[in-house]
Amino acid sequence: MVRLRRITQIVFLVFFIILFLKARYPYNNTLSSDLFLRFSPLIPIFDFIDNFSFSWLFWPAIVIIILTIFLGRFFCGWICPLGTVIDLSGKIIKSPSNTSSNKFDRLRYLKFAILIVAIILAFFSYNLWGYFDPLSIFNRVLTALIYPVGTLITENLLLYTSEISALEDPVYWLYDIFKEFIMPEKQAFVQQVFWITLLFVIILGLEKLSRRFWCRYLCPAGAWLGFLSQFRFYERIVGEVCPACDKCQVECKMNAIPEDDVAHTSKIECIECFNCGSLCPPKKSAITYRWRWKPYHTAVDVNRRQFITTSAASFITLGMLSIGLKDRKNKEKRIRPPGSLPEEDFLNTCIRCLQCVRICQSNGQCLQPDSIHDSVMELWAPVAHMREGYCEYTCNLCGLVCPTEAILTLSLKEKKKTPMGLAYFNKNLCLPFAQNVDCIVCEEHCPTPDKAIKFDLKDFILPDGSMKKVKYPYVVKELCIGCGICEYKCPVPGEPGIFVNTDNQRRLIKTDLA
Amino acid sequence: MERFISRGDHVVVKPNIGWARAPELAANTNPDLVAEVIRSCLKAGAKVVKVFDRTCNDPRRCYNLSGIEESATSAGAEVRQIRRNMFTPIKLPEGKLLKEWEIYKEYLEADKIINIPIAKHHSLSRVSLGAKNLMGVMGGNRGSLHTDFDQKLIDICSEILPTLTIIDAYRILVRNGPTGGNPADVKIQKSLIASDCIVTADYLAMDLFSLPLHQVGHIQEMLNRSLNKYDLSRFNYMQIDLGS
Repeated sequence: MVRLRRITQIVFLVFFIILFLKARYPYNNTLSSDLFLRFSPLIPIFDFIDNFSFSWLFWPAIVIIILTIFLGRFFCGWICPLGTVIDLSGKIIKSPSNTSSNKFDRLRYLKFAILIVAIILAFFSYNLWGYFDPLSIFNRVLTALIYPVGTLITENLLLYTSEISALEDPVYWLYDIFKEFIMPEKQAFVQQVFWITLLFVIILGLEKLSRRFWCRYLCPAGAWLGFLSQFRFYERIVGEVCPACDKCQVECKMNAIPEDDVAHTSKIECIECFNCGSLCPPKKSAITYRWRWKPYHTAVDVNRRQFITTSAASFITLGMLSIGLKDRKNKEKRIRPPGSLPEEDFLNTCIRCLQCVRICQSNGQCLQPDSIHDSVMELWAPVAHMREGYCEYTCNLCGLVCPTEAILTLSLKEKKKTPMGLAYFNKNLCLPFAQNVDCIVCEEHCPTPDKAIKFDLKDFILPDGSMKKVKYPYVVKELCIGCGICEYKCPVPGEPGIFVNTDNQRRLIKTDLA
Repeated sequence: MERFISRGDHVVVKPNIGWARAPELAANTNPDLVAEVIRSCLKAGAKVVKVFDRTCNDPRRCYNLSGIEESATSAGAEVRQIRRNMFTPIKLPEGKLLKEWEIYKEYLEADKIINIPIAKHHSLSRVSLGAKNLMGVMGGNRGSLHTDFDQKLIDICSEILPTLTIIDAYRILVRNGPTGGNPADVKIQKSLIASDCIVTADYLAMDLFSLPLHQVGHIQEMLNRSLNKYDLSRFNYMQIDLGS
């Protein structure tokens, strides 16, 4: 069983990574790349709170939830890719056994506290759970850290060794394979990578305190699945022959076996790794697993006082989130992907998985995880940075891979007509205005069939009295879709002579798309 | 083609693959022409034919949507994306404004260059023809070339002149260039203009847009610098009607 579990864990991890790598142009996958993200058991709760209905979009999560009622937290032990990486990290940094990590057990309620806060806030339309969703965390780290760092090292290593003339041919052969399957696009650069990494490093580093620290004490998905598996029917049975050697108790990944009663299992904690069965002294084999139709019950360990404090804390958080300054200057810079829901809905539906950022990296590279400006809610939501990349006119991929439909799926035709914002000239910097020279690189790149940037040919009188004709560009509001290629290609160093803001943006709701 | 290509030559065929647009929109060179040129190069004994362009939109979308990646590969050429470590700076001793610029290595190392631009309208340079197409092998910040464009473009072009220029004027883009996107801006001209002198080819192609020389600064600039192989006031050219 343990071997089967390990193989399953690796298979799901690899599956997740393949879906991640496949999230790129040309996106013609039979399996949509956001499929695994929709496994997250938390999604249906918050979807229900927001819309008072269940969406079939989240069928993978619903399957997990139903199975959990019978099987318990198998998702954590067998499927969750973050759990698998945590297991690997625990092996490397050598997690202590339960004899020393017992002392943290009073933190178990924390994961319920996080879940309760998330649910209470969701009722007031603030969805923060995405930050703590394990699948979202893992995808975020893949997008912002693991993939870009991996490609950066590989590409530079290959290009560096290709300069050794004896190795040139084999290295370029490898390079072509790398370019074909791993990184056909440009190297990705991501802002916020430090903070995204920090959260991940902390999660892995906590393994030094106890095995599966995150899963035991913090993960809200674990709390929800634990809550569901209080009565699970699949049980660990300890036979009469048990020598009470306590091996299973000491080595249990989740410390789910009580010290004083090895015959029982905390159904809320157990993730069904089956390690206990394999640790049981072979001659005895006291531990067996089987279905029982009259299962015993494990109570959720949150007491009344903890519940009240947690609720109070969520109302304070709610207040803090609501009274943050709503700075207009900042708001106009938060350009969202085309097809995004109206801003408030968007921030509440987005789970910060960065799947859109990932797929954008294979094209225009304009989407970046946002930083905090006025509100915590802005953190890691996708924001378009046109100076570092632009929205490719013939691309609609971000809408295709959003697991929660915070970015709606637009057809290419619809996308080409959905403005993300509007371009404005900064005439203090734009070269024709600042220096009276021709440039119009923005006009050249403007992708709309009837160009949204046009120019006026005007005379300019030089100091010696002679005349010179200069092309002065301007924006036609009705034509501009705010794709930002003008801002990206503007040759003015640093601050661009033309920039996009959220003016004229069109936000959509599902019913807009017939 | 045998006149230009010798047996065993390494040939670079440089079409315009600058934009993520379908061939019908005339923003990129006709993929069928590219394939035909590659085939005749190979027939003439070329050892390798390489095809590339430093694109303006996302490179893979451009290679793909233009149809050139597919047609050129099936014609037997090596089609590769630009590698960022393959630009080498070259000296521009004749340069008026620029003294050095980065050029793609494979272009510099090729024995023969076949330049196949598409004839397009362009707001800044008025037309995008042979010389403008060579921007696809230039590295560095190309946006900065757009001030004093004519001088800077020709500063670089004069050092990297191609063996042969074939201007694709099957479809030409007459408005909203160089990106286009509107089928109404495309004119079916069904012509090709070929010359071993880039200036001559560009000069002749200017007629397609009914532009006088003094309005097309960069072609004027090439003539000012006497880059032309032939005297443009009295040279021979053949007009071959290939029927329909």
